[in-house]
This record gives sequence, structure tokens and C-alpha cells, in this order.
Amino acid sequence: MVRWDMDYVIGLALRIGVVVSIVLMIIGGTLLIIEGRGLGYSDYSIMSIRSRVNTTVIPPITALRGLSQADGLSFIILGLMVLIATPVLRVALGIASFAMERDWLYVVITIVVFINLMLAIFVIPALLHL
Amino acid sequence: MLSLAIRLLIFVEILVASIFAGLLGSLTGLGGGTVLVPVLTLFLGIPIAYAAGAALISTISTSSGAASAYIRDRITNIRIGMGLEIATTTGSIVGSLTVAYIYSHNLEWIVYVVFGIVILLSIIPTAQRGKYEIPDPKPPDWTTRVFKLQGSYYDDALKMEVKYWGVRWWLGELIMFFAGFISGLLGIGSGALKVLGMDWAMNLPMKVSTTTSNFMIGVTAATGSSIYWYLGYIQPFIASATAIGVLIGAMAGTKILIRITNRQIRWIFLAILAFLGMEMLLRGLYLNRMLVVPIATQYTLSLIFTVIVMVVLYYRYGLKAREVVVRRGGVHG
Repeated sequence: MVRWDMDYVIGLALRIGVVVSIVLMIIGGTLLIIEGRGLGYSDYSIMSIRSRVNTTVIPPITALRGLSQADGLSFIILGLMVLIATPVLRVALGIASFAMERDWLYVVITIVVFINLMLAIFVIPALLHL
Repeated sequence: MLSLAIRLLIFVEILVASIFAGLLGSLTGLGGGTVLVPVLTLFLGIPIAYAAGAALISTISTSSGAASAYIRDRITNIRIGMGLEIATTTGSIVGSLTVAYIYSHNLEWIVYVVFGIVILLSIIPTAQRGKYEIPDPKPPDWTTRVFKLQGSYYDDALKMEVKYWGVRWWLGELIMFFAGFISGLLGIGSGALKVLGMDWAMNLPMKVSTTTSNFMIGVTAATGSSIYWYLGYIQPFIASATAIGVLIGAMAGTKILIRITNRQIRWIFLAILAFLGMEMLLRGLYLNRMLVVPIATQYTLSLIFTVIVMVVLYYRYGLKAREVVVRRGGVHG
């Protein structure tokens, strides 16, 4: 019998995040190997070790659009995004968890960590882009 | 257009290298990234920026996978972990921006050299590991009270509930900033530095330090990865193959670790680390034209260095660790 407390939920969220992202990457990898192309790039340009096909040339929106065409590269990129989002979700759940315990010092601490993550994901790329 | 067989071969090549890195990373406790970057750059010729990006991504998968199990066991101290993440995430942002400057100015050699030094320095604490299972208690200070740094866990090996408390939170934060910086700079989890911060600076038991460090690595790596993503250091094909491979290797490593009864085996793992560390250092100096020797000579030099270091470390710590085990046995028996 499991206790559905916050620790259990957090552990579960982490596990689901990792499993989903790995499954997406395995599907993507398999499609890419079979089809030999992804998002308009040839297999050589995607797979060569000095490939120029990295995260700067593929906007996330373009990647997500490829999902409906069973594009391997799209699945891989979605998998990578889910993987990065997993710890972010973990921190967000941490804020809720400390709030439920009414531990306000740790609510503030966890919010600071969350702000740092948001800085890295949204603010710094926007600033570097200027 | 490549043939299906070639595409499969490229994928399997990266996958196998990553499984090896995940296995060795988990057996030494250093994490997959620390072994992955040297393997990808030195043996597969992958540019170091892509290798670091792939390593950081793999670090998230192994950390989140392991953390979910540790939270269940309730050994991880979530308060201590979350408090220190303020410093690791800030450090990671500074580290990723620093490496962006390094790569854009073609100074890759610095990353190789720092990487080599970090691996070589983490060999010593890894060799010592197991000596101080539970630290001698230090008197609690004001940070113990304010940040609620106390906790307890059930120790399976000692068959008792261990109560502990942390001290010097500020010193822990300082070391964690540095650990985060190294994580962003090199694309690794820098678990060894995180353990140093909690074990040495905050006087926490080793078991709490290692599991809490593992919990923190995922959040630190997610911070660095996001900036790496924007800078284009994540190559989807390489990163996905390594994330899958490192996770397989790390899971296998955890299973093997429980079965290993002969502790002396870890000296072989440490020898591989010493070799990789020295090789990274020499490659960095070679890229900077400070030490222009053929690649074959570099490997020979690294091999000689490895043999010397391992002999010294074995006599210094290997034999001593045995004595400690014997003495411990006496105290508890």
C-alpha cells in the first residue's frame, strides 16, 4: 500500500518524466534510422559528428509541427524538452509541498530556485538575443 | 544519403560508448557525464561542445531516475538539497555563460584542461570513500536552527536510525556555487564537488550527501541545459543516443554495485578515470600548442601516469582503508 503524500507524488512525477522522454527519444531514434531524414535535413547532416543540425537551427515550434508527420527528429526534440522540463516540474511541486507544510522560509528558497530556472530557460536566451 | 546499416551503426557506436560511460560513472559514483565527455571527444572525435551538451542531458535522466528511488527511501534531505540549489543553479548560469565566451573565442583547450584537472582531483576523494561513513558530530550553529538542517534516516548497514544535523550552511552554499559553475562549464553533474560541500563543509553523513547531491544534479543540469539549448550545444541525435545509453549503463551499474563484494575492484575503475583525466589534460595542452606531441605519445604518457598514480594511491588509501574496516569491525563487534 502506498501513501499518496507529496514525496510520493514528486518521486512519481520524476519517474514518469524520465520514462516518457526516453520513450519519445527511442521512437524518434528508430524513425530517424528507418526514414533517413528529419525536418528537411538529410541523414548525413543530422548524424555526422560535426553536424550543424543543433538546437539553434530548429525552433521548438517547427519541431512540434513535425510530430503529426511522424518525423523522427521531432520526437527526439520533444523527448529532450520533456527531460529538461522534469526537474522544473519537480521544483514547482516542491513549492507546493513546502507551502502545505507551512514552511515559508523554504517556500521562498524554492521560489528562488524556480526563478533561476526561469532565468535560464526564458530570460537569459532573450537577453542574449538582443 | 547513408544506408540503413550505416545509420544504425552510427547510433549503436554512440549508444555503446554511453553505456560504458554510464556504467563507469555509476560504479565510481562520479556520474555518467564525467566519463562521457572524454569518451565522446577523445575516442569518437565529437566536438567538445556537443559532448558537453549531450553529457548534461544524460545527467538529467540519470539523476531524475535515481532521485525518484532515493526520495522513496527518505535518505535524501530535501530541505538541504533545495537550499543549496540556489547556489548550484546560480553557479550553473555563470558557468554556461562563461563557456559560451570560451567556445565563441575558440578557446576549447581551456575546457579540456579544466576537465582533466577536475577528473584527476576527484580521484582522491573517490579513493578515500568509505572511510568516514558517519562524521563526528560538530556543535550545531545558527544556520542549523534557521535552515532546519537536521534529519534522520535508517542505515541498513549499521542497522540503526542515524540522527544528524548540518552546520556551516554558508560554506556549503559557497562550494555549491563552484560546483554549479563547473557543471555549467564542463557539462557534468559535478557530484564529487557537491558531496565535498555537504560531507566536508556541512558535516553530513556520506549517505545523505550522495543521495542529496544526486537529487540536486538534475535541477542544476536542467539550468545549464536550457542555456546550452539556446547556444546550440545540444545536437539532438547525439544527445538522445547518449541519454538512452547512459541511463542503461547507470541502471546496470547500480545492480552490479550491490553484487560486488570485493571492494578492491574499484581500483580498476579509478585507473580508467586517471587515464581519461590525464588524456584530457594532455589533449588540451596539445590544442593550445603548449605541448606538441603525437597522439600516440599522449596515450603512452597517460598510461605511464596512470600506473604511477594508482600505485601511489593504492599504497596510501587502499591498504589504509582495510585497516579502518578492521578497526571499525572491532568497535562495533
